[in-house]
Amino acid sequence: MTNTSQQSSSAPASQPARPPSRLSHYLRAHLSKYLLGALMLGTFQLAMNRIDWLSKQAIDGIFHSAEGVTASAMRPALWMLALAVVAFITRVASRLFMFNAGRDVEYTLRAELLARLHQVGMAFYRTLSAGEIMSRATNDLTQIRLLAGFGVMNVINVLFALGSALQIMVSISGRLTLVSLATLPLLMVITRGFSSRLFQRTQKNQESLGQLTECVQSNLAGVRVVRSFGLEESEQARFATINRQYLAASLGLARLRGAMFPITGAISAAGMLLFFGYGASLLLKGPENGGLSEGSFFAFSLALARMTWPMIAMGFVVSIVQRGRVSFGRMLQILDAKPEIVDGLLPAPKQIHGELQVRGLSFAYGNRSVLSDVSFTVPAGGSVAIVGRTGAGKSTLAQLLARLLPTPRGAVLIDGFDVCDLPLTTVRTAIGYAQQDAFLFSTTVSRNIGFSLDDPDSPESMQKIRRAAQEAQVLTEIEGLPEQMDTIVGERGVQLSGGQRQRLALGRSLLWQPPILVLDDPLSAVDAKTEAAILDSIEKQAAKRSVLLITHRVAAAARCQRIVVLDRGRVVEEGTHEELLAQRGIYAAFAEEQKMASELEELGRLDIVPVQSAAGGAS
Amino acid sequence: MSSGPEAKKPAVAPSQAEQKLRAFHDEDAVQKSYDVKLLQRLWPFVKPHMRYVVLSLLALALMAALNLLRPLVMGRVIEHAGAKQSDLLLRDGAILAGLLVVWQLFSFGQMYAMQLAGALSMADLRGHVFAFMQRLSLRYFDRTPVGRLVTRATNDVDAVSELFASGVLNALGDLVLLIGIVIAMLSLDWQLALIAFASLPIVLVLVQFVRQGSKRAYRDIRTKTARLNAFLNEQVGGIAVVQAYGREAAIAKEFDQINSAYRDANKRSIYYEAVLDAAIEMISTLCIASLLWWVGVQKLGAKPVSFALVVTFTQYIRQFFEPVSMLSQRYTILQSALSGAERIFQLLDEKDLEQFELRVAANPSVAVDPDEALALDHVTFGYKPGVPVLRDVTLSAKRGEKIALVGATGAGKSTVASLLLRLYATQSGCVRVMGKDVCASTRLELRNWFSVVPQDVFLFSGTVLTNIAMGEAQPDRSRAERALAQIGALELFQNRGGLDARVEERGSNYSTGERQLLAFARAVYRDAPILILDEATASVDSDTEAKLQQALSVVMQGRTALFIAHRLSTIQAADRIVVFHKGCIVENGTHEQLLQLGGVYARLHQLQFAAAKRVTSASEVAAPSRTAALAGRSGN
Repeated sequence: MTNTSQQSSSAPASQPARPPSRLSHYLRAHLSKYLLGALMLGTFQLAMNRIDWLSKQAIDGIFHSAEGVTASAMRPALWMLALAVVAFITRVASRLFMFNAGRDVEYTLRAELLARLHQVGMAFYRTLSAGEIMSRATNDLTQIRLLAGFGVMNVINVLFALGSALQIMVSISGRLTLVSLATLPLLMVITRGFSSRLFQRTQKNQESLGQLTECVQSNLAGVRVVRSFGLEESEQARFATINRQYLAASLGLARLRGAMFPITGAISAAGMLLFFGYGASLLLKGPENGGLSEGSFFAFSLALARMTWPMIAMGFVVSIVQRGRVSFGRMLQILDAKPEIVDGLLPAPKQIHGELQVRGLSFAYGNRSVLSDVSFTVPAGGSVAIVGRTGAGKSTLAQLLARLLPTPRGAVLIDGFDVCDLPLTTVRTAIGYAQQDAFLFSTTVSRNIGFSLDDPDSPESMQKIRRAAQEAQVLTEIEGLPEQMDTIVGERGVQLSGGQRQRLALGRSLLWQPPILVLDDPLSAVDAKTEAAILDSIEKQAAKRSVLLITHRVAAAARCQRIVVLDRGRVVEEGTHEELLAQRGIYAAFAEEQKMASELEELGRLDIVPVQSAAGGAS
Repeated sequence: MSSGPEAKKPAVAPSQAEQKLRAFHDEDAVQKSYDVKLLQRLWPFVKPHMRYVVLSLLALALMAALNLLRPLVMGRVIEHAGAKQSDLLLRDGAILAGLLVVWQLFSFGQMYAMQLAGALSMADLRGHVFAFMQRLSLRYFDRTPVGRLVTRATNDVDAVSELFASGVLNALGDLVLLIGIVIAMLSLDWQLALIAFASLPIVLVLVQFVRQGSKRAYRDIRTKTARLNAFLNEQVGGIAVVQAYGREAAIAKEFDQINSAYRDANKRSIYYEAVLDAAIEMISTLCIASLLWWVGVQKLGAKPVSFALVVTFTQYIRQFFEPVSMLSQRYTILQSALSGAERIFQLLDEKDLEQFELRVAANPSVAVDPDEALALDHVTFGYKPGVPVLRDVTLSAKRGEKIALVGATGAGKSTVASLLLRLYATQSGCVRVMGKDVCASTRLELRNWFSVVPQDVFLFSGTVLTNIAMGEAQPDRSRAERALAQIGALELFQNRGGLDARVEERGSNYSTGERQLLAFARAVYRDAPILILDEATASVDSDTEAKLQQALSVVMQGRTALFIAHRLSTIQAADRIVVFHKGCIVENGTHEQLLQLGGVYARLHQLQFAAAKRVTSASEVAAPSRTAALAGRSGN
């Protein structure tokens, strides 16, 4: 997981506390809930126990004594009623306590997962893909929750149920108990086996579903290719094959699910049969001959029935505990991740003037060197453009400045302070970084632009937002949206064009007004006219703050005081716009290319009288 | 969201933005459930597999019958025990054993038959949805995110299949059982039965209460789950933005609201389920208690109740309440299945389909040049109504002719290619391929004429071979190799793992240049008579540039070709050049003719070529390797 950046800052004292690596810690946080739940369960089983005894009393009273109704039946019945209510309350309470504890554990873990993500940031994605992270947050978390709720509750319940039922059964007849429970071990083994087989089959099912999803996904994403090449038939055939595979996987699962209950049912029915057979023979003998009274028989049957479900559940519970622990292990991959980028030791300076100095900055992804010995300075209130082709390392440079990637020591200085020595909040507030990829959240336009605001709905904030949108030359288009500022954008909302997204993201960074503005290619999808207007706004901003503009557009670079040209991670040229043109190097080549391109665009906009053959001309 | 003061003012309505957000995220909520209509629409998919459903239902009926018998036999066993008839006891004991075994067997058969019916029906439904999506118009795809469509064919169908897999339909059998139990108990001893069921109304009230509550809780859980996962997903994708703006704390607060809302919704659901479960237990104890009390009352009366009957009735009571306890769970699954079905049928109701009816050519009498390969005849077209992209365009190419379309971006060049392939329908005018109106050809017939090398090459996940031989179940290896060799890229790909090298999703492990080469290889492999090349505008390094040039010259040979060209060298390879401007054709001729005209083409050429010359001399010192590349290319 370590990258090869040299000399990342060592972890100072103010590092955030790491979550403990033991699942028991999370469970212990809710110990009171579990204990109360256990208490409730105990009371519940006790009540059930008493109900069984009362039924014996009632039955024996009815069939074997000469007592009146009241003594033989009425009183036990009333007691049973009261106990039934107690059982109701305790049963609900125990479920509430235990299952809620499970949900609480889930809640805590999920919040910690996000917090960890926020801390570690982009460096994370070198070890785990986005999909894997999401899988931990959904599937694995569910398994952990099942353990913490359902699992714990059933373990405790089984213990109490066993205790309360066995008490009756053994008191009534030890031998009958042995006979009735003969099939129990088999039952547990079988349910345990089923549970793990079920889990495996479900996994296979998931994989098959994953393949199906991929097939559909690529078919739909490549719809143009499919249509242009007339691939519909072959795609249909491909889908049919995978569909059949998924069907087979589903049926495999169905067979297992279908066999599970009958087989466990048969085993427990066998147990009941044994009870019935032997129990009936004891009834036949009668209590005088060492057999059973009706009441005893009845009470025994109730107790046995009460024990059956917990025993069946036991097998599942063991698997749930197992899976929960495995899932927690996977979760630890995220929770235990050490953030490489941490606060520096210096106190935050009172004011940032905005001087940015880069000295000999080098960076590599694994073996691949991205930046080599880059140096330049942006004076406070000045503007510098970084120009280069795609892949020259410009975006990496921008991310290193804001410490979104692990910045090496002594390479980046703000106002003379090493960024690694400053608190993270200071660095991030000092440097306003607008990403190249214009990421928008699935929320309203105003909340996207006002992302940095604490109170985006207040009138002052709305004013700021509108101003920022105007500067980014996107306000008119926002007004044209169905709900204007309240339109929901982002992945689940209205789909905006690339240029619109870029300008929204630009507005977001302009709103923030940091001392140093780092804009990473904010104009790539924008046409020349809009570009000029945006550059005007940026220039106005430049009067108040330092601007580092990363671009491949010469027209934008020309507006900056100084230009630094990067090629394959190295600084190859440096100077003002005129100086570089005169050098007739890479920059000059760019300038020519782009001049030609804009002239072509101009040409495309001219009004020309259309003619069909080789005659007539254009202006 | 994270607005502290706002949240503490209950009198103030949520801001407009908040309202919109709430509405947006709740819009997935299950609305009024048109249950019956949806079930009706599912019927055609279940119908072919009806025999399994019938089998299952028959088995259910039998199982219900066996269930009804069981307590009776139990009672008889007890009777015999009481009467000390051990041989009869054994006989009835054996019958009981037999009943149990047979019941379990039937249970397996019943469950499996039902699941079989479900899995087969859903496979049919899935295939139907997929086939339907192949017919949706390209316009629909332009405005719908792919992710949403994918879930229709996968997750939503799965939700519906749970209907069968989880035994929801067993509720029908349970209903029969319940009725049977009531009848049996009434006929055995009606007074006892009535006493036992005295507490039934309470159950009904409870079930109603729980049903309402859990329906709401369930809906809540679904929307909150979606919101939670969407939020997390976005955090994972946008972490750089969050960090850059230092919004970790604010986001954590916002997330906490969603996280706790999700937790609380689940807790509510736990509450309802717990209450239902416990209540049913309590009621069944109540029934037994009242039973015992009545038995006690009757013992000194005219007709005392036997112990055997008590045992029988207790069994019946237990059997009665079992299905009731599963009610809420089954209802949840039903709702989930129906909402999945609702979404699926919403898609299937989509009207924006590819119009592919065969139309007889408007003017069959129009004389068509037998040598004509492709033609546009007074075509007007626009993607959006009222915004024409092509205006009254007429052009044609003979077989073997190579024409280049040039012009500024947005002038309409790529659209010509789309129309030739009939990816969109024209508003007026006629498009002909190989002399035949495209409207009169079938889809496959038409597209088999073409090989397309597009601007952005889409690669399917698989191998290099499957990507070259697209669509073929048995790709021809030697043919693919020959194709690569012909375009001079065989060595390049062999160094990267050869024909069996893995291609990741969307071809992310290959560079732009390599993807273009694969596209050329596809064209050669396919060997169709007409080539359409939509040149990429992104600049590539000179090495790849040269390879692409060579590949093009090979692929071009002996075919009719349509280039949408940006590179000068490509343009010069054409026999004829057609110049587009704002949707109309403004010039048409050979390179020399058009230069002489001194019009649009001449200007274009001057810009590109002359500038390239300037650039050449300028950067000679700085970067000699780039010179050659620039010389033949436009920017943009």
